[in-house]
Amino acid sequence: MGLENLLSGEGFLTTTVNSIVNWGRKNALWPMPFGTACCAIEMMATFSGRYDISRFGAEVVRFSPRQADLLIVSGRISLKMMPVLQKIYRQMPEPKWVISMGACASCGGVFDTYTLIQGVDQFIPVDVYVPGCPPRPESLLDAVFEVQKLVGEETFDSGKHGS
Amino acid sequence: MAEMYPPHAALPADLQKMVLDTIEHQGQTQLRCKVPDHRSLLVDFRNQQGYDYLVDVTALDHLGKDTPERFEIVYVLRRLADPRHQFRLHAWLSESEPSLASVVDLWDSARWGERETHDMFGIVFDGNPDLRRLLMPEDYPAFPLLKDYPLTGREERRQFPRVVPRGDQMVEEEPTDYPTSIGRGMHTPEYDEEVRRDSKPRQ
Repeated sequence: MGLENLLSGEGFLTTTVNSIVNWGRKNALWPMPFGTACCAIEMMATFSGRYDISRFGAEVVRFSPRQADLLIVSGRISLKMMPVLQKIYRQMPEPKWVISMGACASCGGVFDTYTLIQGVDQFIPVDVYVPGCPPRPESLLDAVFEVQKLVGEETFDSGKHGS
Repeated sequence: MAEMYPPHAALPADLQKMVLDTIEHQGQTQLRCKVPDHRSLLVDFRNQQGYDYLVDVTALDHLGKDTPERFEIVYVLRRLADPRHQFRLHAWLSESEPSLASVVDLWDSARWGERETHDMFGIVFDGNPDLRRLLMPEDYPAFPLLKDYPLTGREERRQFPRVVPRGDQMVEEEPTDYPTSIGRGMHTPEYDEEVRRDSKPRQ
């Protein structure tokens, strides 16, 4: 192809709009932490210096769902909290992704009781599950990589995330 | 251990008759009475004997056990001046009429304890000005600490709408296999308008 040779000296690159949008999105995830239990402690460790999620572009933690595109559900979700979680999820602008962190958020964990939701995926869409009780920060980082893979697979005509 | 003090020793004779029995165990004292009597005993403990701190109000459910009544209401009283002076007053409460007089006018801390006991056992405290649900959702259909209520509930935890993607936005689907929903108090028209606006794609 002659075009690259022609443009290479001028600071241009050729790509598709799809790839460059996905590249930007997946390396600048803005997480919304929904920490309700001990998983939140591990999530905070992941955000802080020792594990440092900012190495992977996801350090801009937003405590407003309107500014976030990655919801990290870390902890037990009770009967009373579920409508709140649903509202926060629906307030996030599209496109958005969800990590269900830890056993409690994914399946209720050891709390098989009347007041605990047995897996948030029954009521909101979940993209990546993190096993563990609580998961180590490395596991959460791995989940962020999985989300990045999902973001990279998005296409404009997929319609899934309204892009 | 300090010498035992009988908390009811200083009671007037007519009130002493209301105390059914006294138990000393591991340095703890427990008095028993019946429900209409608890109020006059507590008034005397508060006003005459200086038990100025109500540590807790809670209840016990003796379903299926050989007890005079199904419920026991437990009051834990303490003198702040000498914390050794602490004891429990247990009051039998019948299942057929699960209501009793509140002690909010004696101790303000009874507001919370009575409210939580109402939330968990459905027991009505007459005279409590704020007897709403404390921990469970307002529209929760049961009292979960009753012994005849199953540990995993009656499928209340599955009665939520599901948020699912539809085209370019998320919509709420009512559950089809469970007819009612809990925690819908926040689902006002303003709520629906808000989430409809928020879930629009980014421009």
